[in-house]
Amino acid sequence: MSEVISASALRELMRDWLRQGKQVFGPRQVKPGLVLYTRLTDPEQLLVSGFIHPSNSPKEFVFPRHEVIYSYRFEGKDLQLLDAPDSFPEQIVLAVRPCDAAALPILDKLFNWDFQDEFYNRRRQATTVVTLACLSHDDSCFCTSVGLGPADPRGSDAMLLPAQDDEFEVRPFTEKGEASFSGVTRTSSKQAGTPSGPAKKFDAGQVRTYLSENFEGPIWHDETLHCLGCGACAYTCPTCHCFDIVDEGNAAGGIRAKNWDSCQFPIFSLHASGHNPRSTQPQRQRQRLTHKFQIYPEKFGDILCTGCGNCTRNCPVNLGVLNVLEAMKNGQPL
Amino acid sequence: MIESLRATCRRLLETGTAQVVIGYGQADPGKAVHPVFIRRPEDADQLTWNDQCYPNLVAYLKRKEVQSLGKAAIVVKGCDERGLIVLERESQIDRGSLYVIGIVCGGVGNPKLDKCKSCGAHRPRFANEILGESSLLQDGVGQKWQALEEFLTKSPSQRMAYWQNEFSRCLKCYACRQVCPMCYCERCLVDKNRPTCIDTSPTLKGNFAWHITRAFHLAGRCIGCDECTRVCPVGIDLRLLNQSLAKAAEEQFGYRAGMDPQAEPLIGSYSLQDKDGFIG
Amino acid sequence: MKNIYKPDPMEVLEVRRQTPDVKSVKIRFREKEKNQNFSFRVGQFGCFSAFGYGESTFNICSSSNWKDHLEFCFRKTGKVTEALWRIEEGDTVGFRGPYGNSYPVEQWEGRNLIFVGGGIAMPPIRCAIWYVLENRARYGDISVVYGARTVADLAFADELEQWARYDRVRVVRCVDPGGETSDWKGEVGFVPAVLERSQISAGNSIALVIGPPIMIKYTLPVLDKMGLAPNDIYTSLENRMKCGLGKCGRCNVGPAYVCKEGPVFTMEQIRHLPADF
Repeated sequence: MSEVISASALRELMRDWLRQGKQVFGPRQVKPGLVLYTRLTDPEQLLVSGFIHPSNSPKEFVFPRHEVIYSYRFEGKDLQLLDAPDSFPEQIVLAVRPCDAAALPILDKLFNWDFQDEFYNRRRQATTVVTLACLSHDDSCFCTSVGLGPADPRGSDAMLLPAQDDEFEVRPFTEKGEASFSGVTRTSSKQAGTPSGPAKKFDAGQVRTYLSENFEGPIWHDETLHCLGCGACAYTCPTCHCFDIVDEGNAAGGIRAKNWDSCQFPIFSLHASGHNPRSTQPQRQRQRLTHKFQIYPEKFGDILCTGCGNCTRNCPVNLGVLNVLEAMKNGQPL
Repeated sequence: MIESLRATCRRLLETGTAQVVIGYGQADPGKAVHPVFIRRPEDADQLTWNDQCYPNLVAYLKRKEVQSLGKAAIVVKGCDERGLIVLERESQIDRGSLYVIGIVCGGVGNPKLDKCKSCGAHRPRFANEILGESSLLQDGVGQKWQALEEFLTKSPSQRMAYWQNEFSRCLKCYACRQVCPMCYCERCLVDKNRPTCIDTSPTLKGNFAWHITRAFHLAGRCIGCDECTRVCPVGIDLRLLNQSLAKAAEEQFGYRAGMDPQAEPLIGSYSLQDKDGFIG
Repeated sequence: MKNIYKPDPMEVLEVRRQTPDVKSVKIRFREKEKNQNFSFRVGQFGCFSAFGYGESTFNICSSSNWKDHLEFCFRKTGKVTEALWRIEEGDTVGFRGPYGNSYPVEQWEGRNLIFVGGGIAMPPIRCAIWYVLENRARYGDISVVYGARTVADLAFADELEQWARYDRVRVVRCVDPGGETSDWKGEVGFVPAVLERSQISAGNSIALVIGPPIMIKYTLPVLDKMGLAPNDIYTSLENRMKCGLGKCGRCNVGPAYVCKEGPVFTMEQIRHLPADF
């Protein structure tokens, strides 16, 4: 026996959430061929089938692309610092892929490493994550190679598993998940199948060893020379979190903000003196792979990658981390 | 044709005519096509050609990591080749030391990309060597401005609302800039901070400033390869901006970037015949 | 809501021009109580704001024993430092910190100390020297070898003279060949060479070496010949920083975040880091 909800009941539930003043985010077809996680204002916008993975990730709902951290006003030689708004409305991110949800507990560790980022934490606390298990995958997916899977509960408050007749089995994992679906499901003998996910494509432990032994190896020049140094991979990745801090304003005052940044940009590590420790693209690609598959696991015990495949799908030249990881496995050029 | 391509590659590397051949590769038929840099004759079999060969490889000629590989040979479609003409006119490449392998292309994409439907450059015209034949060549040049003209039927306030909506999605990932062969500034204006001319933040202000400035910096230079639009991860139709300036260049000055190797760059040259009635 | 990214407004007490392109600035909290409650360890750094322009990270170059002010020192190089160059007494700058690890000054007790620095690297050495001099009895002989391109580029030149007057302190100043003035009384030569011919006896010693990579590269073999083990040679690494507290992902040298596991490292630790700087 399981608890199920129909797709139409789900949309009614979403309508209730909106009426209660909660913010709802989820996958939406923004244009033909383009699905993005975005703010939803009407239940008809929600997409629960017909796509593998949106082109972006839901990290922006807890880690915005641009976040004002305070503002300042000049007053003669002195100045006034004004706090940024610190209350974050309750929000539900609906129909999240399990790979995207799993990224959140991984990021929690960094944003609370000694210093607690309250912007992140408060948004996290205000968020309920409802995942949508995957029935299918494409060649870019590799969640199973990083210890996850198409119905993995990590980071999820409740999961919707597609069952027959346009219904979903509902599995709550946390109190938030229970509360979100309390009273709106019906008991049924239907049970969703267990999706299998992609076959494992590499061994993450071997990758970590390879990375520690091949810092100066030829793989970086051989396999990543075609990287053009944009931020499409980092910005659509659910776990990438590097950011810039900038002041923007005028003679009266302004704001200081955190903006997304990418280690692939040449000026990311450029010193004011002109020295750049990572002056070539292969060195920058090395940093990305090493950060995700060696450094973050060493520090926090988690791989900084959930196998969602966005980097490969969004890369202008089809690079992405998977291709490089497979090259390591084979020891051969692509 | 692929065999001739690989044979050409081997010959160029063996004779030392080129030290690197920039082309398209595909690890196996199920995998995606991606750019390759062949440096050894025995690797020539990595080269391929099919209707998934989207990237404009001319964008690699600006990358110092590629420049340091030595004398280059490059595979280009007719649309890409226009970029070579512009780079040469802007003194960015030495055409004489670049070996150009032109591919006759009937269009990429399945379904064909919009740019292919109105392509007027199926057969590269200035390559050192041309490979391939296609019976699918069609002259759709007349439809070139169709999408732009449809867009221009909207009122100014509708167009503003459209761009506000589109730019609200922009992540400032700069994929549009990095794939563009004409964006070769060593330090882009948006990356400069003394002073800051364009906000780096992905706010509406920062995004408008970025896209409009980039479109203006490409006025009279954009070759219409549409790579910027293809690569945008959030589906912004950047072509419309560039096309509106390209249309103005064509209608006001009879100029199309990258078509005539003898033509002076539109914005980069001065002629006594230039209209100056607008100067007070 | 606690905001780890928000600086404290600081009053500028004094600005001193150290060299043609280096200034040092004394600041204190505008909020008076914070001055009493604030403490740090020498070797740590802070993020200093020129509001409207941005933040830069600098070592806190005052001694941790001084309670009435903090000090930082910078070279005019980029957007933020150009803005800081224009500040005057009474202006407001921002400060966040202290961040990073620090010199293990307790472990250095009972040892002889050798400080080697070049150019703009004097500030992070200066704080350690003052700290040590203020606890003179706990430390052995102190040697300072400090050089710059020209006489005018020597930072804290007046303090170098003061230090030489302390008990069992030897100060060797040098300038690059061609950088001397007609009345220059110090050494002429590059820091590694001057260090070598200074014949400092290195038994039971700790060295703190800070300077441009090329200076460090040639100084290490000299220290090695003098008998110092990599475990006893300390440095302070620089890297591009933004948040200063381990989140923005920018300053790592391999697995070591310079803002968290550094900036103070021993040469032994650096040997195990990849060449990512």
